[in-house]
Amino acid sequence: MGKITILDEHIANQIAAGEVVERPASIVKELVENSIDAGSTKIEIEIEEGGLTSIRVADNGDGLEEDDVEKAFLRHATSKIKTGNDLFRITTLGFRGEALPSIAAVSRLTLRTSTTQNGQGLEVYLEAGNLKKKQAIAFNKGTEIIIRDIFFNTPARLKYLKALQTEIGHIIDYVNRLSLSYPYIAFTLIHNNRPLLRTNGDRELLHVITAIYGASVAKSMIKLEEEDKDFKISGYISRPEITRANKNHISLFVNGRFIKHYLLTQAIIKGFDTLLMVNRFPIAVINIELDPSLIDVNVHPAKLEVRFSKEQELMKLLEQTIRSYLHEQNFVRQIDLNSIATKKEKVKVEQSSINFYRNHQHTNYPKQIVDQFIPQPSEQPIASLSSMQQSIEEEKKNFLVEEDLYDENINSIEANSADRLPMLEPVSQFNGTYIVAQGEAGLYLIDQHAAHERINYEKNLNRMNEEVRTSQELLVPITLDYPKSEALLIHKNLEILQNNGLEIEPFGQNSFIIRAMPQWIPANEELFYIDRIIQQVLEHGEINMELLRKDLIASTSCKTSIKANHYLSKKEMEILLEDLRKTDNPFSCPHGRPIVIHFSLREIEKMFKRVI
Amino acid sequence: MHFFIDKNQLIDAIQHVNKAVSTKTTIPILTGIKFDLASDGLVLTGSDSDISIQVFVPITKNDQEIVKVIKPGKIVLPAKYIVDIVKKLPGSEIEFSLVDTFSVLIRSASTEFKLNGYDPEEYPELPQIEEDQVLTINSDLLKSMIRQTIFAVSTLENRPILTGVLWKLNQGKLSFVSTDSHRLSMREANVEENGLTFDNVVVPGKTLQELTKILEDDSIPVHIVVTDNQILVKMENVLFYSRLLDGTYPDISRIIPEKGKTVMTVTKQSLLDAIERAALIAKNDKTNIVKLSILEELLLEITSNSPEVGKVTEHIKVNQLDGEALKISFNAKYTLEALKAMDSQEIKIEFTGALSPFVLKPTDHDRILHLILPVRTF
Repeated sequence: MGKITILDEHIANQIAAGEVVERPASIVKELVENSIDAGSTKIEIEIEEGGLTSIRVADNGDGLEEDDVEKAFLRHATSKIKTGNDLFRITTLGFRGEALPSIAAVSRLTLRTSTTQNGQGLEVYLEAGNLKKKQAIAFNKGTEIIIRDIFFNTPARLKYLKALQTEIGHIIDYVNRLSLSYPYIAFTLIHNNRPLLRTNGDRELLHVITAIYGASVAKSMIKLEEEDKDFKISGYISRPEITRANKNHISLFVNGRFIKHYLLTQAIIKGFDTLLMVNRFPIAVINIELDPSLIDVNVHPAKLEVRFSKEQELMKLLEQTIRSYLHEQNFVRQIDLNSIATKKEKVKVEQSSINFYRNHQHTNYPKQIVDQFIPQPSEQPIASLSSMQQSIEEEKKNFLVEEDLYDENINSIEANSADRLPMLEPVSQFNGTYIVAQGEAGLYLIDQHAAHERINYEKNLNRMNEEVRTSQELLVPITLDYPKSEALLIHKNLEILQNNGLEIEPFGQNSFIIRAMPQWIPANEELFYIDRIIQQVLEHGEINMELLRKDLIASTSCKTSIKANHYLSKKEMEILLEDLRKTDNPFSCPHGRPIVIHFSLREIEKMFKRVI
Repeated sequence: MHFFIDKNQLIDAIQHVNKAVSTKTTIPILTGIKFDLASDGLVLTGSDSDISIQVFVPITKNDQEIVKVIKPGKIVLPAKYIVDIVKKLPGSEIEFSLVDTFSVLIRSASTEFKLNGYDPEEYPELPQIEEDQVLTINSDLLKSMIRQTIFAVSTLENRPILTGVLWKLNQGKLSFVSTDSHRLSMREANVEENGLTFDNVVVPGKTLQELTKILEDDSIPVHIVVTDNQILVKMENVLFYSRLLDGTYPDISRIIPEKGKTVMTVTKQSLLDAIERAALIAKNDKTNIVKLSILEELLLEITSNSPEVGKVTEHIKVNQLDGEALKISFNAKYTLEALKAMDSQEIKIEFTGALSPFVLKPTDHDRILHLILPVRTF
């Protein structure tokens, strides 16, 4: 007799439950997703003892027809897809038809539902997946599912559940994320009769953020919107001064589905660049809309992982969007005095004023350009008057062209830094470390070292882009081994590597030999940087010198900058502030520390109780 | 601009000027040295906007030609390069000639550098100082007065006024005072009386440090001009400008105790050596604590105890002792620096109690005074 038997359905469901129903939070997730797919606008989640005692999810969605009620508990029974082709354009959250039977298999489940407004409803009760009771009841349109005693029949799983706090933490996390992706659904989450979250479903994502993170965080969120031919990105990111210690608060949604995606998260962080301090991460809620055919969500039953067809393009778009939005903002850190309640938005009135600082720019600017066309004494004697005339004409033309250029330059500077950091006038220096300055909007404290570091950093970056690339030959070459898949890519990109000063040659099948490397690589760190260069080529197909050398440049910039405890004259402070204003990012030093702190006049007046 | 110059003379001048040049400055042109060539010689200027040093190299010195001027002119050259270039040039004579707008060709023997510079018109003007009242003092005296007070200035910018040395002149008596609020040093000297008086002139410590490097060790006169916010020290062919510190120096007159309760005289070197040895053990500790106890019969005990490292005990003889017995702890560094700044062989120490400041003075004159605050041990 053969040894293989076909498992009966209950066991199959219990096995499947292991995958889908990992913990109470997964039940909440599955049930709420079903509610969402049913077109609900109000979802109430009530939990007791971290979900171990009971989980109740009630919605006002479509409800289930009488015929469907029992079918819903069969495996691979779903209303969400019908044919195989549908798999490639999934627009609902669920589709596998596994959730309900799996949950039912490990709990005592009560389902009440109604599809009509006339009050006729149906109640079923299942224990370990077996139908025990079915009766007609009075019920409003929608569905309510109550799960009790989960894992009562799988004690092993019950044993491995974490503490109540952990479980409820997971549930809050899920519900937060769902409410972020469905601002038009009113979510209520109640744990042991205590409301934990309540959103009002008014379609305003910012209101959801307020409900989750509080008003002060919501107030400092920046709204994003960007679109290209494949993707539409929208959402909110926090201003760089509001950060968290981990990446959990970066929420990514793809077509309304919450996903985890390492590379996209990385892209968001990269978009922030040096605005973030080391090991601090922003809060972000990013919604990506795209054609369903561009993603594959059927990677894992929990559906947290997705695959994108145009991952590189999406990453680039996301990073650039965030960067450009951040660069429009003024990030002078505000002092939050118990978050002064904002009154109704006032009409902004700005009296324009004469710019007294222009002089600085003028002395520095035109001169460099002027020297390029100061006529050099010509070596040859001038042959004839006409040729001289001609040369004068040419000179004139050049001059005009240069002059235009110069105007453009001035304008571009203005556009670049205008309104980012205001004109500041140094008042004095504090503790030999901070510049006390005033501007129209109040008092500013500027960390002189961080400011100078930023200025030098940007200067050095520009210099790096201009420098001649030089390579250092190696007497003893370095040999590197790579796995076959990467080796193939390296083979393909040898030229890029060589153009960047890394003289690399294939050395056998999967090995490469490096005969010369870029001069800028510091001694003792050769392997580290060579590997980074190659990794960049592998990942992006190009080399971003700026990214590679950022750390090195940041550290040299730090060394050449004025330190703390260093007296500065008024003139030096003026020039420092003016140079800072001209930088691309005058708000944080290359290590992410803030440069400027701002106290508005009103805040100071409040501190002195001149206004209340 | 085109000239020839004696290399060694230029090295001397450029090294003086370079003392004022800072590599870390927010004003880029100040990383350069200004060359200003006129028919009577070359003027070099270096500045960090705090200190400015100007050196004049005349065309002849002791009947020897130093600079041969062909065409006057100006340029600012980056100090970082010009100083080393000049030092390393092979010949004994260097030729400078302006090429392009702000570049020079520097030739010496068979070497030729082309160095890019900056527009001299952008270089800040040196302060204009009216020289109607001038204090004259010998270079070596000024230098030793600075040396004997500068170590006590504060290096922290949290009380900027204490980062300088207070200069006072009254009836021909010039006094320097410095303090970092843990110790105080004072030095007085008589200068030529010419009716000039000033008070609350506070010269930055950093300025004085650079100034001592330039001051000659000979008794040649140096002229000093003081204004509200600037000081100018005129040496032979060298002008040294510095800003003065803003603010009012604290009144120190009441800090110095009138008379000690315990007064002893001791040979400076033996006390210095003993404290230096004790400091070897105390060094481990950041506070450098050394304990001094007066035993009977003109005997002094110096001890230092560091729980991790060990212990030192030493007895030294006191030349003379008046007053009550005493035990006091102090920072060895402060005491050593004060002792080293005194040139006399025998010194007098006046204590007013274990928790009160004590004063060190030479026995042979009263123009030097060092006050040190004790360390309180619990």
